[in-house]
Amino acid sequence: MSFQDWLKDDSKIVLFDGAMGTELIKRELEPGKVSDLLNIEQPDIISEIHKSYYDAGSDMCQTNTFGSTPMNLKRHNLEDRIEEIIENALKIIKKVRPSGCLIVGDIGPTGEFRPPVGNASSDQWYSSFSNQAKLLEKGVDLWHVETISDLEEMLAAIKAVRDVSQKPLISSITYKKTKRGFFTIMGDSLEKCIEALNNEKIDVIGANCTLGSKDMLELLKTAKNFTDKPISVKPNAGQPVVKGDKTYYKQPVEDFVNDIREMIEFGAKIVGGCCGTSPKTIKEIRKIIDSI
Amino acid sequence: MSIEEFYKEISTAIVNLDEEKAVEYANKAIKDNMRLLDVVEKGFAAGIRKVGELWEEGEFFLPELMRGAQIMQKCLDLLIPHLQSASEKISRSTVVIATIEGDIHSIGKTIVATMLRAYGYEVYDLGADVPVEKIIEEAIERKADIIGVSALLTTTMTGQKKVIELLKEKNLANKFKVILGGAPVTNTWVEECNADGFADNAIDAVRLVKSLLDK
Repeated sequence: MSFQDWLKDDSKIVLFDGAMGTELIKRELEPGKVSDLLNIEQPDIISEIHKSYYDAGSDMCQTNTFGSTPMNLKRHNLEDRIEEIIENALKIIKKVRPSGCLIVGDIGPTGEFRPPVGNASSDQWYSSFSNQAKLLEKGVDLWHVETISDLEEMLAAIKAVRDVSQKPLISSITYKKTKRGFFTIMGDSLEKCIEALNNEKIDVIGANCTLGSKDMLELLKTAKNFTDKPISVKPNAGQPVVKGDKTYYKQPVEDFVNDIREMIEFGAKIVGGCCGTSPKTIKEIRKIIDSI
Repeated sequence: MSIEEFYKEISTAIVNLDEEKAVEYANKAIKDNMRLLDVVEKGFAAGIRKVGELWEEGEFFLPELMRGAQIMQKCLDLLIPHLQSASEKISRSTVVIATIEGDIHSIGKTIVATMLRAYGYEVYDLGADVPVEKIIEEAIERKADIIGVSALLTTTMTGQKKVIELLKEKNLANKFKVILGGAPVTNTWVEECNADGFADNAIDAVRLVKSLLDK
């Protein structure tokens, strides 16, 4: 089955993976290290995490390439290693991907803002995303551009991906909840973002990160009013709490999973988790999907 | 135009993010030999406070907040030399701010630095990925009142605690107030670190700095 078949099959709820960063922290990732570099330095850890999500029931998992744009790698003086990082990312996930499951090419934000917040331009974003997409294209089944908090940056990423690939694309923006509704930190409303995305060559409209499961449920209900495209949701498991040198996410898995159940009832096509979620979360969501 | 109306005009120019008008008013205030401290407090500062309120209410977003702070800073840069020459000395407390070693997330810290400058504080922004020792050295060198340490990653937050521990080791704990920032920072973490406070956002940071210095 291809991703497009899943989209056409009304009875299919697609299960995405959960957090990568949270799993790395559990394994005592060195502070500040670019996690994409682990594709080279500790591929076994990345492979183990992908495998744990596929084993938990994910239909698709994303490559460990969230930060692998030249713009982002440059801040760590790693831009020369982009090819090696992405090549390894593809090898690692391919090895553990079970038959019938898919590989998603993960593209995160460049970390550079446009004026007046930063100095980035749409052309710089485009060229950075384009480099990443060209290197990923051969090894992925579909794309996830995610955790983007500026509609303009998202549009630059979509154009970059579309110029090198016609594979399905999920476009996930990160919103915060304000008194006036859901907005990106740059001031684009949920409605404005969805209307812009409706006109783009993308297959799924998504939201991920920042919002916990309760707020994401509310966002989904609103988003349904603005689009006929399938919707993907990857909320956080509440907010992190640090005690000593350890980080915890306090929200009980049952609460998160119950909200995901409601999101499915309200029409979410793709569900998964962002920060704070784990293979355990995914396993519980799998049970719900299988019982529907 | 009465003086009160003039202050209102200045504040409106800041809220409307009208750089040209704001600069024009700053220059007029200097040229007309006005009481510049009042011009800053009742005009410009009132404007930037309103920008902050609008941001907190979800009416303004990052671009408006940053633009407002940048315009404010530009006007303060014009006004401050004249304030001092008119012996209307403004008390400028000093803040040294940095994102901790291992963490390259600078945007939140930069926004806080910009807002603090807009409120008239002397701010030394050391950038991102700054070692604990360097932060303390700079704080001593700049005679800082406040040290601000930002961390976006739960893995680098421990560096915030190290700043306070090293200050204690060097018997400097009473010399500076240390405040924390960054998405994962909570009250519990502040207590655990024995820090002087944390701010959720740039406007909170200004409030926090002000309240610590008023103590």
